[in-house]
Amino acid sequence: MTTTWPYLDVHQSRTHEPTPYEYKLAATLEEVFTKEGHELADVVRGLNARQVHAPDGAPWTEESFRAEMNRLGA
Amino acid sequence: MTLPVHDTADHIYATGLRNQWHPVVPSSFVTPGAMRKVTALGEQWLLFRRSDGTLSMLADRCPHRGAPLSLGKHLGDRVACWYHGVEVETDGTVSSVPGLPGCNLEGKKLVTSLPVREVGGAVLAYFGDERHPEPAELTLPEPLTDPEVDAILCYAEWNGPWRFAVENLLDPMHGAFLHHESHTMYNGDTTAKFRIRETDRGYFFEKTDQRGVNFDWVELCRTGVDWVDLTIPYPPSAGPGGPFGIVGMVCPVDEDRTGVFFWRYRRVRGWQRDTWRFLYKTLIEERHWQVLEQDRVMLEAMPADADQRENLYQHDLGVVRLRRMYRAEAVAQASPA
Ligand code: FES
Ligand SMILES: [Fe+2]
Repeated sequence: MTTTWPYLDVHQSRTHEPTPYEYKLAATLEEVFTKEGHELADVVRGLNARQVHAPDGAPWTEESFRAEMNRLGA
Repeated sequence: MTLPVHDTADHIYATGLRNQWHPVVPSSFVTPGAMRKVTALGEQWLLFRRSDGTLSMLADRCPHRGAPLSLGKHLGDRVACWYHGVEVETDGTVSSVPGLPGCNLEGKKLVTSLPVREVGGAVLAYFGDERHPEPAELTLPEPLTDPEVDAILCYAEWNGPWRFAVENLLDPMHGAFLHHESHTMYNGDTTAKFRIRETDRGYFFEKTDQRGVNFDWVELCRTGVDWVDLTIPYPPSAGPGGPFGIVGMVCPVDEDRTGVFFWRYRRVRGWQRDTWRFLYKTLIEERHWQVLEQDRVMLEAMPADADQRENLYQHDLGVVRLRRMYRAEAVAQASPA
């Protein structure tokens, strides 16, 4: 923990530098929210249509998307 | 014993109002079993955390000859001054004078100890003066206590007077100019009419002709701690949950330094909350930071006497109201009872 003034830290909520997968997922989510809508079904459909899948390569389901967001966002 | 009552109104105005709570630093700055020296309201303090997490805040001044206790040793439930070993408990009581056992300093409460609370990841302390040692009643901002709302703290340290930072928050019109090139405040009119709306805990300063487009309103709340509430729309890319809000607080560090606390909050739960947090950490936090940097660059560049030579207009009513209130309070706190 730094003790020098001033404390100016861009990233205070992160626990790690996002992985390439996390960056790609986040950027695609922004696009999906912009173009497809804000419902869970829109998000799952939008991600799958863009071929941006979970790390295991499987297409998203509502359950797997919820679980992944819980892991990455909690 | 707390802050002295002989301070002048100018000193109080410059270093922060007494007899209320102020944020000090993020909780994470004081890890269990550690100590941290901090400056607040122009004074030096020691934050001391026991290994079980219990936090206390002492004046950073040894009762013997004034050495900083923060240079001393953490002894679990007390601190030992490095200079001659005097031991002070977390409530400010001298527990031992090793050089002269039985010395009459032992058992006396000689060090100021401030009431502290940890809220939303920040340490709040009550800075009473000698006439008001008992902590003022503290009502926390609802966005930080409402389980339907998720808040994430951002803390930063700026070189400028604390009141410039608060005035900046009571000045919504700067959003459409200073932050025009940002991801959230590019929209809306660059002209507006404002009004002040009094509430039982402070006042709103708001545009009369636009809401939900830019930084269009702010509420100053005085609930034992001074804070502001405001909202700014998110673009659709940020997903469900609507606008994001900010609870803002300011720590008067000293005459020309300020700690700013911004909780970015959103009314989200479940997968919507998780997704917002994921986007926030990965992409949004950095964009918010760029906006905050615009404020810092501007405020740090303001001359120290900026508020002495101004030509104000209608958009500055929120600032004028704020200054009048703080000024009057500083005068009242400085005058004899
Ligand atoms: S000054 Fe602290 S023990 Fe003497
Ligand atoms: Fe701003």
